[in-house]
Amino acid sequence: MRQAELRREKNLSRNVLIVDDEPLNRALLGRIVGDRYNVLYAADGKEALDVIRENKDVLSLVLLDIIMPNMNGFELLAVLKGDAQLSKIPVIVLTSEKSAEIKSLELGAVDFIPKPYDMPEVILARVRRSIELSEDRNIIRATEFDPLTGLYIKEFFFEYCKEYDHYHPDEKRDAEVVNVNRLKTINELKGREFGDLILKTIAERIKEKAEEFGAIAARCDSDNFYIYTKNLPDHEAMLKDLSDYLKQKTGSSKISLRMGVYEDVDKNEVIEQRFDRATIALDSLKSGYSSVLAKYDSALHDKELFGEKLLGEIETAIEEKQFKVFYQPKYDVSGEKPRLCGAEALVRWLHPEHGMVSPGVFIPLFEKNALVQKLDRYVWKEAASQVKLWKDKFGYCVPVSVNVSRIDIFESDIESFLVNLIKESGLSTENIHLEITESAYTDDSSQLIKTVETLRADGFKIEMDDFGTGYSSLNMLTKLPIDILKLDMAFIRHMTENPGDRKMVKLVVDIADFLAVPTIAEGVESEDQLTILKDYGCKIIQGYYFSKPVPADEFEKFIKNDNCR
Amino acid sequence: MITVDKLRDFGANVEEGKQRCLNDESFYITLVKMVLGDKQIPELVAAVNSGDLAKGFEIAHALKGMYGNVSLTPIYKPLCEITELLRAKTDVDYTALLAEITQKRKELEELDK
Repeated sequence: MRQAELRREKNLSRNVLIVDDEPLNRALLGRIVGDRYNVLYAADGKEALDVIRENKDVLSLVLLDIIMPNMNGFELLAVLKGDAQLSKIPVIVLTSEKSAEIKSLELGAVDFIPKPYDMPEVILARVRRSIELSEDRNIIRATEFDPLTGLYIKEFFFEYCKEYDHYHPDEKRDAEVVNVNRLKTINELKGREFGDLILKTIAERIKEKAEEFGAIAARCDSDNFYIYTKNLPDHEAMLKDLSDYLKQKTGSSKISLRMGVYEDVDKNEVIEQRFDRATIALDSLKSGYSSVLAKYDSALHDKELFGEKLLGEIETAIEEKQFKVFYQPKYDVSGEKPRLCGAEALVRWLHPEHGMVSPGVFIPLFEKNALVQKLDRYVWKEAASQVKLWKDKFGYCVPVSVNVSRIDIFESDIESFLVNLIKESGLSTENIHLEITESAYTDDSSQLIKTVETLRADGFKIEMDDFGTGYSSLNMLTKLPIDILKLDMAFIRHMTENPGDRKMVKLVVDIADFLAVPTIAEGVESEDQLTILKDYGCKIIQGYYFSKPVPADEFEKFIKNDNCR
Repeated sequence: MITVDKLRDFGANVEEGKQRCLNDESFYITLVKMVLGDKQIPELVAAVNSGDLAKGFEIAHALKGMYGNVSLTPIYKPLCEITELLRAKTDVDYTALLAEITQKRKELEELDK
């Protein structure tokens, strides 16, 4: 229930001021409205102004006579109109003069009560209606704005943009989205107050510049600013102005901004889509340490269209089995000869029109649009039936790991789905390992850990994927339900030339030793890398050094050649 | 002692006046007594006789509202008439109207004895 309705419902008392120089009129009106409202009185405009100023936060309505000594009703209305706070209090003018009505309206009166007075019911109805309208208007005003920055909130912002376009159909406009880089980290490190100061400072500058840029602005999604401007010749200048102002006001040069711009918007698109495009441009920028800008252009447009097309095709692609599961072998290198000890199932999209579509393109797309669960379950099923085929054909099979997205784990039926899958495929949980990325554990993870523990209790082995990119603390690691650590391939890629990466690799292997779990190094491509890893004590290797991911029939060769039984 | 019956006989629209007072008869009588305590009619006469029609309008206007609110029709009617004439600063002989207002006011005062 809205606040105003709640107050009405509870009949919480409101204060009404009656201003009239005639005692009889004050007494009569006071009697009429006094049953429902607290009544205050004033005998002329000056006295009324004092009462209004004193009670401005609790005054719901003023009933105002026009012809009075000292300060008359018109003079009082003019004073109220000129004051931002006092002008919010509604005024009903008491008059027997038709001619006074136009002037009163111009000065902000909301209604009239004629003299001699109407019947009490009529007066009460008019008083009540004026109070309700005014309270609703004030509530709407209050909810239009983001309380922190005073800019519009997203919904009202879009409405005002639409209204602007309606009255300026031929004007060229630009959509901008400005983002504060790593605001959450800044909040963590320097406190939320400092983060809020950044947001308020940016909003302050946007407001100062709003007229110059013909801008309407909003704060959206905590750390973004949406700005709808006239077609600007130089967005870089605007970004620089914001950054410089921020530096000057906060005294910190380490805060950087990103700006995504969709110039000269296509007005056939809905306003939300125009800002989606500015956001696409923004998302194409890395969150670095300097302020940067990107414009929505034909390349981004093509990418967006391609993404839309792929999203629309996922169902058909699953039905037609366009997604192929490839297998990349994992080798145990602890003995004299490397021995096949597992494989990772990786999805590839053999698109009938576009050929091989990179998972780097479609996985983030599906993750963003909550379609990745569907794809993951498809891969799990395919992998499970393939493992069963190999078991039947060769009498055994190495464990195959499948990727489990963070979002999969929050599906309520994940455990029953996986357990049934294993059962229906005639496998055991030893045959399928589950790979969960480290970063999934670090976001508010209690529910996630609970689910993973349940899966582990069912017998599944859990491999922590991309280890080293998240922010797990050592203390946390000891509590996490994991069986294998998989080193992020970014460290492996540069380890031969980068001592820092080598140290990181050594550290992770030592952590794994401490936790008494094996380490898998993925992305291993060269002999040099292999040598270093073996030297550090890493026992399991995955990467192009042994084989790229291959289709199931090719992977059979690895099983046949395997001598690890 | 003034009563609603006396007021009715005087020509006041007692029912309308009472309705405006939420049908509270004693409150209505209280308001009529407030009117009786008001001394502005002699001020109106003095202002008009001295030729200060602007001041005369202000007083007539205020009286009109007051007498109207308690529906004292015999006084309210000539007050309406004189207010409009004074608003336009009409150059007429106000004697008869002022006399009517003064006379009816006297009659009202008599009701309270």
